[in-house]
Amino acid sequence: MESSLTKACTLKLDNFEGPFDLLFHLFEKNQVDIYDIPISSITDQYLDYLYTMQQLDLEVASEFLIMAATLLHIKSKTLLPSKKEEKQEEQDPREELVRRLVEYKRYKEFTKELKEMEKKWDRVTFRLPEAIDLPVREEIMEIDPQVLRQQYIAILNRNKKKINLGAKNITKLVEHEKVSLRSKMREVIKQLIHRVSFKFSELFSFKTKSKTEVVTGFMAILELAKMKKVKIVQNQQFSDIHVISNAENEKEEYELYDDIDENISEF
Amino acid sequence: MEISTIECVIESLIFSYGDPLPLDKICEILELDKKTARSIIKNMMDSYNTSNRGIIIREINDKYQMCSKPEYFDYVSKLYQIRQKQALSQAAYEVLAIIAYNQPITKAKIEQIRGVNSDSAVTRLMERNLIKEAGKLDAPGRPRLYETTDEFLRCFGFKSLRDLPLLDIDDLSELSLQELVDEVQVEDDK
Repeated sequence: MESSLTKACTLKLDNFEGPFDLLFHLFEKNQVDIYDIPISSITDQYLDYLYTMQQLDLEVASEFLIMAATLLHIKSKTLLPSKKEEKQEEQDPREELVRRLVEYKRYKEFTKELKEMEKKWDRVTFRLPEAIDLPVREEIMEIDPQVLRQQYIAILNRNKKKINLGAKNITKLVEHEKVSLRSKMREVIKQLIHRVSFKFSELFSFKTKSKTEVVTGFMAILELAKMKKVKIVQNQQFSDIHVISNAENEKEEYELYDDIDENISEF
Repeated sequence: MEISTIECVIESLIFSYGDPLPLDKICEILELDKKTARSIIKNMMDSYNTSNRGIIIREINDKYQMCSKPEYFDYVSKLYQIRQKQALSQAAYEVLAIIAYNQPITKAKIEQIRGVNSDSAVTRLMERNLIKEAGKLDAPGRPRLYETTDEFLRCFGFKSLRDLPLLDIDDLSELSLQELVDEVQVEDDK
């Protein structure tokens, strides 16, 4: 009876990049033709290997488990009797796995070639570019003072067109309204203290509020949803949005309000 | 201009430039069309290769560079203190092979082919400048795409990606298992 530890030593544990590598190792050990895999015995050996890893308290990577499931799935398919007429059309359950193995093996083969080429081309040297100081050509610019004057006048004329002549008639400036995200968030929460839900249009409608307010209101419910304070439901595109409180009971609602107060200080 | 003169000019250009010199640049300086310039350079490369010289001209993605012949490296290396480059891992070579043939490709697709997580190999190849990001795939999550670099062509001596040997992997997906078996038997019979 060999201990699992010696077993592990013979397994060369860390040598397997992934489940494919382990499978190739098993194929080699059993002298298996990749196009005719004895799925049952390979599956058993593969699982044995995973058990050994587990006994050694090694973390079995998820990829290995996925492959184990795949192998078991194929094995079960091969064991199940299939009806005669179906058999004609049915694919060999091993087909997909074989295809993947063959594809992977081709790339693996190509890496040998890559290494050979690298070995050869690693042996060349080349010069780095040198900074070559070429004599600087000085460009003599001749400018007629008249040309300079014309250019300046042209610029002045261009600027004249840009100036709004109606500017002096302006007597009143449009007030820049201030709508803070914070205040809108409060507004939403205040609503939800008295009831569980409300329609977005009740609180923020273009009829009663400015564009800025509606947009900020919309941002407020998004922020609150992100904070998990409210749920937002819209039954279909462009229909009214329902804002629903996430608080469980009334007591919590008041806490929610205090809570929000602290939370929205950053807005 | 005589062909021989053009060859001299190209030789001096490639020598002076040091880095791989783009064909466009050569054409611009000599006022040649690409086809003519290419064939002249091709001749030069052949003659460098066959005559008794220690220098060759090599092609990397339509750029040309002079370098020493690999067979004399043992002598050249005596000039320098050669720093041992950290060799790539088997995993990194595999990922590189997959990217070379399937670029641009996402990490998920690479991992699907290898059946194993390939994060560290991809990172290593990025550090070595053998692969680079090639934008994002227009799919959920917008995963990054990867492709090989000119550095990859240089390190492995490929003139361009067209230079990669055929793996005929594409036809693999079309074949049924029975056909695969037949194919292998045919190959064995050869």
